[in-house]
Amino acid sequence: MATSQVGLIGVGNGRTWRIGVRSVLQHPSVGAIGGRGLSSAGSLITRTIRVVVLAAISVGLFSLVSIYGYALRDPRYLDGWVLAGGMSLQLGFHVAIKTNKLSPKSVARWRKFHIFVGYLLIAAFLSHTNFSLPDAGFEWALWTGFALVMLSGIFGTYLTWSAKAKGIDDRFSSDPIPSRAAELAREVREVVAMPDPASVASALPAPPHDAWIADLYANHLKDYFERRRNFFSCLVGSQNALQRLTAEIDSLSPYVDARRQEKLAAIRNLVIEKDRLDFARVHSALSRGWQFVHVPVTYGLIVLSVLHVLVVYSYSSGGW
Amino acid sequence: MWRFLWPPQSENPQPPSFQRDRFALLVALLTTVSAGAAFFLSKGTQFLMPGPLTSAHAAIGNCAQCHTQSGTGKLSWVHGLIAGNPRADSNACLTCHKMPATAFFPHGASFNVLAESTRRLSKVAATTHEPLLVRAQDTAFPAKDVIKSGLYCATCHQEHQGINFDLSKISNEQCRSCHVVKFDSFDGGHPQFESYPFRRRTRIVYDHASHFDKHFPEVARKDLAKRIPASCSTCHDSHDDKRVMAVVPFEKTCSGCHLDQITGKERATGPKGIAFLALPGLDLQTLKKRNAAIGEWPDASEAELTPFMKVMISRNDKGRALIKAVDRLNLQDLANANDDQIASVKELAWEIKRIFYAMISGKASDVLGDLNIGSSGKLSATLVADLTASIPRDVVIGAQQQWLPNLAREITAGPNAPDPQPAVTDREQGNSSVPITEEPPVSDALKPSAETGRKEAPSKEASKTKYDPPACLMRVLGQCLMSAGQENKPESAEAEGTAGDADGANGKTNGNKEKRSAGNLPEPMRAGLNGDEPAATSQMPREKVANQSDDLLQPTEEELREMKSRDKGGASASQTRGAAAQPNVISRPQAKTAPLISIESNVDPESWSEYGGWYRQDYAIFYRPAGHKDKFIYSWLFLTGPQAPKGDRSPAAAVFDFLTSKDAQGACTKCHSVDDIQGKGRVVNFSQPSAETKQGSFTTFIHEPHFGVMENRGCLTCHKLEKGRRYLKSYEQGDPHNFASNFGAVSKDLCQTCHATKKVRQDCLTCHKYHVNGVIMPIINTKIPMP
Repeated sequence: MATSQVGLIGVGNGRTWRIGVRSVLQHPSVGAIGGRGLSSAGSLITRTIRVVVLAAISVGLFSLVSIYGYALRDPRYLDGWVLAGGMSLQLGFHVAIKTNKLSPKSVARWRKFHIFVGYLLIAAFLSHTNFSLPDAGFEWALWTGFALVMLSGIFGTYLTWSAKAKGIDDRFSSDPIPSRAAELAREVREVVAMPDPASVASALPAPPHDAWIADLYANHLKDYFERRRNFFSCLVGSQNALQRLTAEIDSLSPYVDARRQEKLAAIRNLVIEKDRLDFARVHSALSRGWQFVHVPVTYGLIVLSVLHVLVVYSYSSGGW
Repeated sequence: MWRFLWPPQSENPQPPSFQRDRFALLVALLTTVSAGAAFFLSKGTQFLMPGPLTSAHAAIGNCAQCHTQSGTGKLSWVHGLIAGNPRADSNACLTCHKMPATAFFPHGASFNVLAESTRRLSKVAATTHEPLLVRAQDTAFPAKDVIKSGLYCATCHQEHQGINFDLSKISNEQCRSCHVVKFDSFDGGHPQFESYPFRRRTRIVYDHASHFDKHFPEVARKDLAKRIPASCSTCHDSHDDKRVMAVVPFEKTCSGCHLDQITGKERATGPKGIAFLALPGLDLQTLKKRNAAIGEWPDASEAELTPFMKVMISRNDKGRALIKAVDRLNLQDLANANDDQIASVKELAWEIKRIFYAMISGKASDVLGDLNIGSSGKLSATLVADLTASIPRDVVIGAQQQWLPNLAREITAGPNAPDPQPAVTDREQGNSSVPITEEPPVSDALKPSAETGRKEAPSKEASKTKYDPPACLMRVLGQCLMSAGQENKPESAEAEGTAGDADGANGKTNGNKEKRSAGNLPEPMRAGLNGDEPAATSQMPREKVANQSDDLLQPTEEELREMKSRDKGGASASQTRGAAAQPNVISRPQAKTAPLISIESNVDPESWSEYGGWYRQDYAIFYRPAGHKDKFIYSWLFLTGPQAPKGDRSPAAAVFDFLTSKDAQGACTKCHSVDDIQGKGRVVNFSQPSAETKQGSFTTFIHEPHFGVMENRGCLTCHKLEKGRRYLKSYEQGDPHNFASNFGAVSKDLCQTCHATKKVRQDCLTCHKYHVNGVIMPIINTKIPMP
């Protein structure tokens, strides 16, 4: 978690002022947006255990279904009911959230469970479809519904993971993002334009360090701060733009004096913060967007699933 | 509830999920409406179909054809949710796929077969290691729970999996789930074979070892022209039925050596033909002494009552009782018989006469069609034709003419005729075959009455009672020139001369004293007779009979001389056996006449029938087998076998025992083994093993694909000849499963050289089949179009 505390004192427009560049993590208006934290060994182990358990349960389910089929039963009834049971659990979670019956801590715990069960249901679904595509209209509707719910769920999980990697916590609100972005643009402008008090006092011609920084701003930073970043690069978590800018700043830094180097460091931090702000904005939009797929399609899928169960039992010929 | 699903808009700021949840509800509603619309707009209930049917079932357009509870209405499928007959859908499968009543048993096998298999395999299971996965499966999902409730077709055949889906596919694990012996694969725990492939002895009694070592070398030594099989394929091929190495036809293999045994050419002793009808020799003296009125009977007969006649006599309860009563009697020595037995013998004699009479006056099929063997109803015409080998009527008539010339009079007069004493017929026994015995005139007279009787029943003439002609006193060229008693009734002949032309030969010997109607006659004799018509109206004057003789049939002078010399020669001229020895027995005049054989022949009737057929000798009518697959013997064995359990003393068993005895003519059972079938008598194995006879077998093997992998030893690679086994001994008893094969069992290790992991397939269905009793499909139910 990057938490730079750079104090920069400047004199401009007849007043001396000080910019405190803090990590946006602690910015009260935005909520909590932090930098990419390094995964600790503990979380890595936890994540690995979770994946192993997931894989083991999936393999266990596949084996159980196979054994069920070997025992002269129709395995589609077993994995079908596993699927139906899992979906009921997920629906229960949704209802609990909706009715505000869970504490925030419980919600966080249940959300993890929701994701975990979601992955298990993928295994159950693959087993139920026998790893093949459907070949009838009604079956296609079911398949497509589940696939949409599954994909949107996976996408939501990805968003959660990437947000966590970017340091965005659950309390994050996207409402102050535009104002904060404007603020960042203004701050970087002010940092770039801040005159050097020493050069003002000296009659000797100063080296053109400020001009170089001004060039940097004009050529690379101005657009970056005034425009929104590319949606898809944020979606995929691309670091290219950020790395290009920080590389520019870093390449200039050795050629300027210590005072300008501090200035460049302040600019660099603002660039990083803008990158996270852009990501937070995209994340906020996607977070709202994927749930507009995940939840409504789930509702439709439940309708089709109930019909599916009725039809299956109505037409069963004793094979189960 | 509704508010929970669809919360109202309010002035207060809504949470971000509000719009999403509303949209979700709309989607749910839209889905319901769309699904409903698609369902109602689609054809039938096709929308609900989970997937295409396999190509074999693709033509089925109506779900209710298989899902019997779903009905044909749009919403009637919900009926399926209510518990109905769980087997209804499986029964629907059987409308096209015909299976036995045990269809829903495991393997479609009967309970007894399954119980026996389980008992046998339980012993094997005790020594077989059970894989871990199997134990887990048995613990988690025991298959016996599924089997307990009965197996449905859908248990294994799950439809709607696509057009190319293999419905008959079943995994090794599925097989294993039920089986007592559980193992991983053929090369991994499959039990050793138990005497495979022999489940029973061979149907043909063929001792390979003795043929290879003894018979073939002997034949080759004696007759170089005879073809000795050079290889196994000379006698065996699998072209018609790839599963079974069938034996090629008799004519191509065995006939060279064994045909003469069938036709009797090689028979050194005993008759070469089968005695079918006979007049059994009776103790006439005792019968006369005990006042048993049996009428005319040849005392020279030493014949036995043939088993075939026993069957004919036993066609009803009375006959069965009769045969039972006389079965243990020595008919030629009745000195110690009690009165009841004498009465039975008397009744037997009359019954035999009735049979002869019926076979002449009616059709053979009328007598044999009602044999009533096994309560199987009337026999078919084809079977009767086989059972009689289409015996010519003239054979019977010829026999009657010689043995019982007064049969017609006796039958019409009945057992209580005025002359109750046994009359001995001492006739010359023509040791000639039927074809050279000339047809007696009586047969001519009988023929129209018997044959046209039914056809002309409505007509007046035909409705008159017709009687057999009187005994012939003088016979020339087979024509009766003088009937017995005709000289005594000239007036009546005159008076009733107009009674009917066709009935002229049917005189009645006792004049008007007796009036008989058809109703009084035995059942077989009523054919063509009208019981209401008084007998007197159809009587024919004896003189008229004589007058009706054709001039062309008048004897020539030479013939008259010969007749004269015969009369003078008396008994010495004839070849009778008993007449000379019975001087005290009344000899009727007609007994002195004998058929005239105008062509001398040294060929005895038996030799004359060298190539099979009917002949008469002594007091029996014989049938000589015509060759392999003789229908006469086959049909009698076929008919009587199921009613002839071993040791049974029924007439049917007598026929079966007679035809399957060691020295039986035809020698069928020299090669065709006889099996005792519990509760079903005995069966002669005439049919070769085939795919059909393999039904019920759990193992299937196709020879042809294996020919290419045989070693230099050919068939002996798998089938090792084991000499010294008591192969033939096992045929001395009737249990086909108690046997010793000429060949050693095929070992599992031999199969395993190829059928192993990463080599040739070794799944269960490679060698085993599930529906052991087969499935016939599809059943054709096309009805004949009617106008």
